[in-house]
Amino acid sequence: MNRSYSTIIISFLVILPLQVLVFRNFVLYGTGFNFFYLFCLLLLPVEMSAIVGMLIALATGLIVDLFYHTLGIHAAASVLLMFLRYYWLRINGPRSGYEVNQFPTIPNYGFTWYLTYALPLIFMHAVTVFLMEAGNVSLAGQSLLRGLITAIISFIFIVLTQYFFFKKAR
Amino acid sequence: MSQLIAFLIRSRIVLVFLGLEAICLWLLIGNNDYQKTAFINGASGLIGSVSNTSRNVQDYFELKDVNQELAAENARLRMLLQNQQPISLDTLDQLLLQADSLDSIQYRYIPAEVVQNNFRQTNNFFMINKGSRDSIAAGMGVISSLGIVGKIRSVSEDFAQGISLLNTKNPISIKHKPSGRIGTLLWNGINAKSADILYMTPDVRISEGDSIVTSSYNAIYPKEILAGIVTSVETDANGTYLNIKIALSVDFARLSQVYVVKNEMKTQIDSLVNNNPLQQP
Repeated sequence: MNRSYSTIIISFLVILPLQVLVFRNFVLYGTGFNFFYLFCLLLLPVEMSAIVGMLIALATGLIVDLFYHTLGIHAAASVLLMFLRYYWLRINGPRSGYEVNQFPTIPNYGFTWYLTYALPLIFMHAVTVFLMEAGNVSLAGQSLLRGLITAIISFIFIVLTQYFFFKKAR
Repeated sequence: MSQLIAFLIRSRIVLVFLGLEAICLWLLIGNNDYQKTAFINGASGLIGSVSNTSRNVQDYFELKDVNQELAAENARLRMLLQNQQPISLDTLDQLLLQADSLDSIQYRYIPAEVVQNNFRQTNNFFMINKGSRDSIAAGMGVISSLGIVGKIRSVSEDFAQGISLLNTKNPISIKHKPSGRIGTLLWNGINAKSADILYMTPDVRISEGDSIVTSSYNAIYPKEILAGIVTSVETDANGTYLNIKIALSVDFARLSQVYVVKNEMKTQIDSLVNNNPLQQP
């Protein structure tokens, strides 16, 4: 249990500065953003209570917002992501069920499961961010396009990180 | 009761979620100007159409007062028309021909009707039934036939929301008419029929009954629009300024016909101000 806590804390300490200092500046053709910090939220243990998860998401989102100068947008979207994740994890469980003390990652549950777990959540988060940024629904088409591209880019980064740094739990 | 508590505990995740999202939205709308404007514009369009319907009913009860007010204004304008000197044909060489009506007219008045009006809060706003479609923009002044009403804050397609004079955050540059001294008019947030005049020094001779009018130091209102009549004057404890109270000329409790003031020279004035390199930010 201690090991899993330290992994989560280290991932927050590494990924959040990376997001606000490095990935913030990488925007593909003005449409493809990279919300890599969602990996921290997706990495939280499955058995964690939804309320604690949402509070962590609020804090994370506010930190990101401070650097993006959009106080409230990322926080709101992250809280929404954690709220949906709680139910999504229960609907979309792996065939053998969740193991205690195992991170919801690709080495533990496989790529197909992770795709159905993470991509819809990241997409929801990105669309929420862009719709709130636009402030009205007349830019909905553009927001959806941006959300889709952003979700795919973020997902690729998150998947690559797992292949590089995460091993199957024993 | 126990069932209620059980329900709250059962749905605690959803409640916490809604609470956190409310905090986020509050932060978002409070801190980001663009989202704030989008929120206000969306709200004023929706609320405006509802208020308009209820106003249509209310109009019938106020027809008599409005008629009297308009008749009085007509009479005043007719009097002004009589005083106008006829142009004599002999002095044709001195007659100026205007190529464009914009050259001579500085202020344009767009008539509008108030569809929603607050006057019991500390910071009051009102809404009129003309919007960007009638070339109304944020920052324009609003007057009625009796005096100053406020200025436009945000505009949707068919409605516009304005900051009332009855708003503690809406100071207006005014002039004491007999002496010509400039001061600031600010509502005190208490009585909808009176307001305070700030920054008048004791050397100005002000007596009860003097008129307070708008000064020419602003690009929003035309000069010499009546704001109110002085009701009490006293020196403050330090002897630095005068405490002046005025009775407002506009009765905000039955505000209905107003005119939006469009300053045709505003672009010129603003660009002149912005071009000045020595101007303080």
